[in-house]
Amino acid sequence: MSSQKKPVGVVPLGDVSEIASKVIAAHISGYFNLSVQILPPLEHPEYAFDERRFQYNAGIILKAFESMRFKDYEKVIGVLNMDLFVPIFTHVFGEAKQGGKFALVSLFRMGKNPDGSPSPSSLIFERSAKVALHELGHLFNLLHCREKKCLMHFSGGIQDLDETPTYLCRYCSTFLKDHLLGQSE
Amino acid sequence: MDEKMSIMVVDDEEIVRESLFHWFKKYGHAVETASSGFEALDKLEKRPFQLLFVDIKMPGMDGIELLEKVKTEYPDSMVVIITAYGSIESAVKAMRIGASDYLLKPFKPDQLSLVMERISHQKRLLFEHDYLKGRLEKITRFDNIIGQSPAMEHIFTLIPEVAQSDSSILLLGETGTGKELVAKAIHAKSRRAHLPFIAINCGALSDTLLESELFGHQKGVFTGATHARKGFLEVVSGGTLFLDEIGEISPKMQIDLLRVLEEKKITSIGSRKPVDVDFRLISATSQDLGKGITDGSFREDFFYRINVIMIDIPPLKKRKEDIPLLIHHFLKKYGHETTKQVDRVTRDAMELLKRYNWPGNVRELENAVERAVVLSQSRTLGIKDFAFLRSSPAPLSRPLSLQEVEKQHIQQILEEYNWNVTQASKALEINRVTLHKKIKRFNLERRV
Repeated sequence: MSSQKKPVGVVPLGDVSEIASKVIAAHISGYFNLSVQILPPLEHPEYAFDERRFQYNAGIILKAFESMRFKDYEKVIGVLNMDLFVPIFTHVFGEAKQGGKFALVSLFRMGKNPDGSPSPSSLIFERSAKVALHELGHLFNLLHCREKKCLMHFSGGIQDLDETPTYLCRYCSTFLKDHLLGQSE
Repeated sequence: MDEKMSIMVVDDEEIVRESLFHWFKKYGHAVETASSGFEALDKLEKRPFQLLFVDIKMPGMDGIELLEKVKTEYPDSMVVIITAYGSIESAVKAMRIGASDYLLKPFKPDQLSLVMERISHQKRLLFEHDYLKGRLEKITRFDNIIGQSPAMEHIFTLIPEVAQSDSSILLLGETGTGKELVAKAIHAKSRRAHLPFIAINCGALSDTLLESELFGHQKGVFTGATHARKGFLEVVSGGTLFLDEIGEISPKMQIDLLRVLEEKKITSIGSRKPVDVDFRLISATSQDLGKGITDGSFREDFFYRINVIMIDIPPLKKRKEDIPLLIHHFLKKYGHETTKQVDRVTRDAMELLKRYNWPGNVRELENAVERAVVLSQSRTLGIKDFAFLRSSPAPLSRPLSLQEVEKQHIQQILEEYNWNVTQASKALEINRVTLHKKIKRFNLERRV
């Protein structure tokens, strides 16, 4: 599958553990077979803070990414510790525009189990990697999939996310392969 | 949620429109946005949307007003109301008007996902309902005979009843009222349904040709009879014979058919050997046969033989309540045939169509809808799409009968062609023999 000319960039925003970025990069490389680079961290996105909601507006951060261009990267995934939202939703685990270049992954809600108990760090990193792969799927034009055992199945909560696999179903996998082949031609 | 839908997001806030737009795109739906109720109605006018997400609070036309309009004008479109002002009252009001669901902003992503699941489920139920309704209509109603007026309901009741017997049926009705459709429905409901249904328009055939068609002929009995041919009375064997425009047949043919009906035997032209025949006769006419009996052109004994059961099909002007139903049926039919998304008629246009007299009855209405659908640039047909109807003559103080209109038209064409019957018959698209018959029947003479 690794036929893309430019690598995928993983960029931490603000104070994000190095391991989180590494785990995400390893999952992208391992599951999507794409070359990945971890970029130097960007500043904490204070500009996207919403005072009424005490959350960070994902749309504003993605717009800021657009102005930064990242021309040496095929796709760029921002990783941050803050709680993300888009105006109609209470929160989002991650955000990406269908077929776009930039995506975001938030670790903020990954640390608690459905029953409220704290999660071990290995599980937090696994959840973050799933969200990153899912959002990257959208950047490569994959749609939400009705197959529950597919990475592109929509996860509304942590329990759903834990039940979602890190791999794509046969249909989505074929679609991604075709998409990447089409891009390389 | 595996089904892709056409969705419109209506909200005055760009950020909300964008968020929902991108969200639905991730499911592969066809999404459009509108920043106001007016823009939404404009878009709906152009093409249908299965689902609308509408914000309650918008300047100009609010979400409730838009919901009311959508439910009146486009009842097939489902609406989900979004509100940041989550009062129980506004939600209850929206649901009462016909909203399929509602969401309070901001909502959790899985709440929207759940709403979409419910919408998908509702759509499936509606589809199943429509499918089953269609199946039921096919069982209890008759293909292409549309109507809910008392007169048509009576005919729908009569069809299965009369279909059970073998008695001859006479269908009365103006041209274009659907006499052949009723005949076919009777045949379809009868024990003869699996056998042939043969329709002959007696008005379109000369006497000798009709005789040959009905009775058949032996080889060489007349010029052009290069081989023997079975008549329809024999070919129909066991089925239903539909003789349209029975009032047009000659007295000789009436005697011949009367004999067949009584003896159930025919002898083809040029043969001496009678053949047994079995068929059910359904005749139809747009003429007043009683008048024919009085002036001697129609035999009384033949009339009673073909008129064991009489069904009078009312003209469209006497069942105007069926017009919207018929229009809806023809819109569906021609929308499907032309693959154009034309599925609505404005209120003004509907009023015009209900006021119009429809001298050509259902056939004329069908042609009018077909023409309008083919030429329409929008999904809604308006008055201008039916302008060709308004160009028809204004109603007279005394309405002309169909016969009077026919007489006037034939006279006009004959004058136009200087009474050259061959040319006039070509223009009228009838054969010369029929034209001669009509000249005689209407006592037409060259104007000085």
